[in-house]
Amino acid sequence: MVKVFVEKENKRINLRAKDIDEIMKKLNINKEEVIIVKNNELTPRNERLKNSDELKFLSVISGG
Amino acid sequence: MCKQCELKPVIILSNSKKGLCRSCFFRYFERKFNKTISQFKLIEPDEKIGVAVSGGKDSLSLLYLLNKIREKRRFRIEALLIDEGIKGYRDKTIMDAKRFCRELGTKLTIVSYKGEFGYTLDQMLKKLKIKPCSICGVFRRYLLNKYSRKLKFDKLATGHNLDDEVQTILMNQFRSNQEISARLGPITGIKDSEKFVRRIKPFYLITEKETTTYAYLKNFNIPFCECPNNTQAYRIEVRNFINNFEQRYPGTKHSIINSFLEILPSLKEKYRNYEEIKYCRKCKEPSSKEICQTCELRNKIR
Repeated sequence: MVKVFVEKENKRINLRAKDIDEIMKKLNINKEEVIIVKNNELTPRNERLKNSDELKFLSVISGG
Repeated sequence: MCKQCELKPVIILSNSKKGLCRSCFFRYFERKFNKTISQFKLIEPDEKIGVAVSGGKDSLSLLYLLNKIREKRRFRIEALLIDEGIKGYRDKTIMDAKRFCRELGTKLTIVSYKGEFGYTLDQMLKKLKIKPCSICGVFRRYLLNKYSRKLKFDKLATGHNLDDEVQTILMNQFRSNQEISARLGPITGIKDSEKFVRRIKPFYLITEKETTTYAYLKNFNIPFCECPNNTQAYRIEVRNFINNFEQRYPGTKHSIINSFLEILPSLKEKYRNYEEIKYCRKCKEPSSKEICQTCELRNKIR
């Protein structure tokens, strides 16, 4: 399971997926609206995932 | 891999599809920021530049970068923050702004709705049946201009980025508000007006994805914090529309900005006469009507 954190919704979930794109599709995240941090490293391209990976979707949208 | 040095990229630029590593991205970002200031003549030597900070990543990154270049370009900076009085939101971002300004050694002035109008925004919303963003749009603009003048700023820099501007351009297009579009651009306001402090947007050509990446890599530690009163439903819809479009057709946002910059001089020329400043009969601040919107709103709150 991949540990996922979605900043905008302050949501933490565990998901099974083969790559980042699959998770974004599952969570309906637009890549224009986030920067992606995989195991504490910025990851701008789709990458394969393995169990125990940690993925953060940080919001790029300003809060108002 | 990074196109320049073959290291792992931290970002893929949406308009060119180019990947950049950490240090190449910093160079790209800061060069673009500097180029925007030079190209549009946003800052002149010896000016005192106010920086409107909210405590969010864009305005604090802007403050950081202006502070970084101020000696070389020979200008001074001070920060200005408007505290609307939104519990659970502004009180948090004020802490980040204070910490940041302390670290940079930048003077920060905080002006509150409570001190200026007698009530916090939270209190006003209990009294008035009006959308919170309509109050903030009027009061914040009013206070930013009034205090920029009091603090003797030559210009006021804001953290508006390319995404903010693209959204506003399209919203104006969809609503046929060309006259309002004529007031946009990297530098706005009227030259040589005693009462109106011009606004500058040094992040005009930088996307919000780029500003977020910059703040993240610089370890600014600014948490995402959303205003609980965000009622700008139309803007959010336009933003989603543009982002979906950008995802399918990368480079769309840059194309919108570039074509807008081409027609902006014509728009400004066409609406030049509309730019004549009038002054509110009550508070003597710049206004398009006889009584300004701030005084009208204040009346309703009393």
